[in-house]
Amino acid sequence: MERRLPQFFFALSLVALFLMLGAVWQAGTPTWKTYQQEFHRLESVGEPNAAAKSDVLNAALVIRQDLLPGLQRVDRCTTCHLGVEDPTMKNAPQPFAFHPNLAPHVPAKFGCTVCHGGQGLATDKQNAHGRVSFWQEPLLPKEYIRASCGRCHKEGEVPGVPELTDGRRLFETQGCRGCHKLNGVGGTVGPDLTEEGAVHRAPAWLERHFLDPNTVSRNSPMPNFHFTKEQARALTVYMLSLTNEQMGTYYSSVRLIPSAGYGRQLFMEKNCIACHNIGGVGAKSGSDLLGVAKEHSAGWLDEQLVNPQLIYPGSTMPEYDLETNARKALIAFMASATADDAQSILSQRTRPLTPEDAAIEAGKQSFARFGCVGCHGLQLQGGVPNPNSQGGEVPSLLHASDDFTKEEVIKIIQNGKVPPVDNPAKPAAPLYMPSWKTVLTDEDIHRIADYLWSLQKKKDAW
Amino acid sequence: MNPIRDAWQSIFRRDPLSTDKGKSEFVFLNVWLHIHPAKVKKENLKVKHTFYLGFITFFLFLILVTTGVALMFYYRPHPPQAYQDMKDLQFVVYLGSFLRNMHRWSAHGMVICVFLHMCRVFYTGSYKRPRQFNWVIGVILFLLTLGLSFTGYLLPWDQLAFWAITVGTNIGSYAPVVGAGIRELLLGGHTVGESALLRFYVLHVAVLPALVTLLTMVHFWRVRKDGGLSRPVWKLKDPKSAQLVAIGAPDTNAALPAVPASQDKTYGLMEVVTGKPIFETVSAEEEEDTVFSYPYAFFREGVALLATVTTVMAVSIFWQAPLEELANPAKTPNPAKAPWYFLGLQELVSHSALLGGVIVPALAVMALLAIPYVDLNPSRRPADRKWAIRAFTLFVVVNVVLIIVGTLFRGPGWAFVAPWVHIAGAE
Amino acid sequence: MNINRRRLLNWGTGGLVALTSAVGLSLGAVLRYLTPSVFYEPPQSFKIGAPADFSFGPPTFMAEEKIFVFRDREKGFAVVNAVCTHLGCTVGYFQNDERFHCPCHGSVFAADGAVLHGPAPRPLEWFEVTLARDGQLRVDKDHTVPASYRLMV
Repeated sequence: MERRLPQFFFALSLVALFLMLGAVWQAGTPTWKTYQQEFHRLESVGEPNAAAKSDVLNAALVIRQDLLPGLQRVDRCTTCHLGVEDPTMKNAPQPFAFHPNLAPHVPAKFGCTVCHGGQGLATDKQNAHGRVSFWQEPLLPKEYIRASCGRCHKEGEVPGVPELTDGRRLFETQGCRGCHKLNGVGGTVGPDLTEEGAVHRAPAWLERHFLDPNTVSRNSPMPNFHFTKEQARALTVYMLSLTNEQMGTYYSSVRLIPSAGYGRQLFMEKNCIACHNIGGVGAKSGSDLLGVAKEHSAGWLDEQLVNPQLIYPGSTMPEYDLETNARKALIAFMASATADDAQSILSQRTRPLTPEDAAIEAGKQSFARFGCVGCHGLQLQGGVPNPNSQGGEVPSLLHASDDFTKEEVIKIIQNGKVPPVDNPAKPAAPLYMPSWKTVLTDEDIHRIADYLWSLQKKKDAW
Repeated sequence: MNPIRDAWQSIFRRDPLSTDKGKSEFVFLNVWLHIHPAKVKKENLKVKHTFYLGFITFFLFLILVTTGVALMFYYRPHPPQAYQDMKDLQFVVYLGSFLRNMHRWSAHGMVICVFLHMCRVFYTGSYKRPRQFNWVIGVILFLLTLGLSFTGYLLPWDQLAFWAITVGTNIGSYAPVVGAGIRELLLGGHTVGESALLRFYVLHVAVLPALVTLLTMVHFWRVRKDGGLSRPVWKLKDPKSAQLVAIGAPDTNAALPAVPASQDKTYGLMEVVTGKPIFETVSAEEEEDTVFSYPYAFFREGVALLATVTTVMAVSIFWQAPLEELANPAKTPNPAKAPWYFLGLQELVSHSALLGGVIVPALAVMALLAIPYVDLNPSRRPADRKWAIRAFTLFVVVNVVLIIVGTLFRGPGWAFVAPWVHIAGAE
Repeated sequence: MNINRRRLLNWGTGGLVALTSAVGLSLGAVLRYLTPSVFYEPPQSFKIGAPADFSFGPPTFMAEEKIFVFRDREKGFAVVNAVCTHLGCTVGYFQNDERFHCPCHGSVFAADGAVLHGPAPRPLEWFEVTLARDGQLRVDKDHTVPASYRLMV
């Protein structure tokens, strides 16, 4: 080699030159350029004017990005997905196809990844779709994309996504909070679910988990709730929406979609029919609301909801302290409400409760809301397996009065109780009664006890 | 009177390169090159003696500085923008991933080459009198190289970076008395966060490169003063005829070797200052093999530079430097491993924090620094230094084995696993 | 060790030529590297809404984008830059004299952007406005057009 050192130097120089050319070639021919050229070709088809056609064919190839500081993202999907806002590309092959029903979620304001998942910063297909190691948010399968609606629209209903509302309702009524914390409230037997959508983004895993927890989490103390496929799907969609991400004010201002459907729900909740009527159906002390949206502007109606005293001093209408979108929803409902709506609302009204009934009802609500039903069951039947506890399962509460006084039960709710162990040699039982005195007020706990005792009486009565 | 020629010659003032004077002036009139002697012995150019490892390490450092400065145009040392900038370099910046790869692979290369260079210097006995202190400077440069690699490791702000530095700084905190304090200074806090990233960035782009540059200048200067690049003097027919004289010896007259005047040639004489001359004698047989630095030495250096650059470029085109997911303080990967050159240390620490993490490494570094002052055997011939060579080889082998164990044989919980299991079941 | 000077210089020169090309290529590549491919700024080309969203008569001012959108019954749409050509302040449109006035140093522009008065050196810029495929108007600040340009919708 020493002998041939000059030739070696020459060869190395050529290698260096070729490597430099190779690096430059590698940097200058990314796949997105090919996609853009193909799209320009598609665009130019059928363009009769030769000059315009040439302009389109020779248009500059640039990376396109949507800067979304409010969502803390940068999405470059439109570099290849050039036809998303172009209706003439309805039948174009991917990645050029038109995206129907985009508005108002246009890429310039929302990007793509907040709904679809994927890696917005990337500019090649595999990395951009997020199906690579070390990227936790791959593209969502089609049937789950709408779960992302819940990332911003956290309250009320989302039109077209009943699974979100269903999932949320199932979570609150099936007692999930008994074991899982959500937004700071709940038990500690299972993991905190506040960011579940960010931690577990594989819908298949989540759905299998709801259908039978033990198939994905071995020896999990979570009981099998025997959910139907639809319920499991709804819960999965709800979980996927729980990403707990920081968003700019523009995005968090639409937590609630101001739909007429939600307005109707509010109308019932706030019991407007107690004073008002629609087309004569309802109470007479307040005004007739039929056609009120045609008589007055939306701003006027909004002001009335915010401050009834301003427009009608001396009015007995209370101030309801509703947020902006809730008021919009009410106004949207009133724009379309008819006497038939008022009739149906009246028929669904609950009868007035006595104070005792109200206390029991409040106790029942707390019992469900704080997750007690998760272990003790919707009918207080118990029966959830608790290996190595005496009795082997969570006790039924239907005969609590046989073994405890009401005060003792209140103490147990306040301080918690670890079930006695069957076999000391084996590991401790996974489920236990947590202490609730830091979460519930004394009043709440008394009401729960009232509720439990109301069911005891009924049982003894037979 | 040709104004153009005058203008040209006002810039390039040397004689034409076809003359001997011109070749000499090319070296000593040039600020960038004048550390070289105008003439070198052919023995100084032997590849199989030095393997040009010192040059290669230096060239890798130059590559690191250039690519590093280029990367600075796109990198912000603040989480989480730092991670986003890494992604931008990979996906959006022209030649971004190539430059980042060049930087990463040169860094690994420099750590390896500086270690190999140290081994070579030991095996050729080139740390012996009067080069003892240059060895010490070299060890310091080695530690600074590790420091540069460590501070740079954090900058991508991914899981690999975050946890490697968490583990690394925790190992350091085991040092008695000063450990916790040094850790707090490095991190600017109690855990790895914004402050740590900024401090590591400043250390990585400013402080440590400045220190390396300054010490490298001293290191090169001393090589020159100590008689030039290492050469295998024991292979000369009469090795005693080529000997080095100690610098600053109190009685310099007595230190001059007794060599017949006719065979004697002083070479590399810099200046005679305050009666302490610096001489190196050249044997007659070597004198015949002296050549001009231009073009022979520079040509070989150029080949070494080219080989280094092309190797780094080739590796950078085909192999991507890793980038894992965004650093997540709440999620520790299992196992959490320090950068590979600290894995030997982590393996030691897993057995005993104080002994393995502090005492043994400190003793190892002190032993390294002491080598030239403890090894008083004047001979550089390998046959005369068998035990020294064996001891050092043992040291190298132990280090390599520890690193291999830490890399391939340790899985989750630092449990011992077979390497194929570990690689297949990562994460 | 064989050091042949002539061979070295011949091959060496050839190598140097290859190297010089490589270095030249590298310098060009570095310049391209330093040129940004994406901008962390609002985009130069953006949609402003459907034609029906814009009224006739006095121009519609869009504050964030710093443009005025003219809509003429006969001739169509035109978009002018609201940034004064003097030192960059945002001009205002006054309906009573149908002119643009800059509050910073008193420049006055006619409705077609021409400088009538004040230190502004050049007329206001007019931007290309086109109709995108989804029916929205698209403004492109990278393309300036003459003041007479109109988009008929």
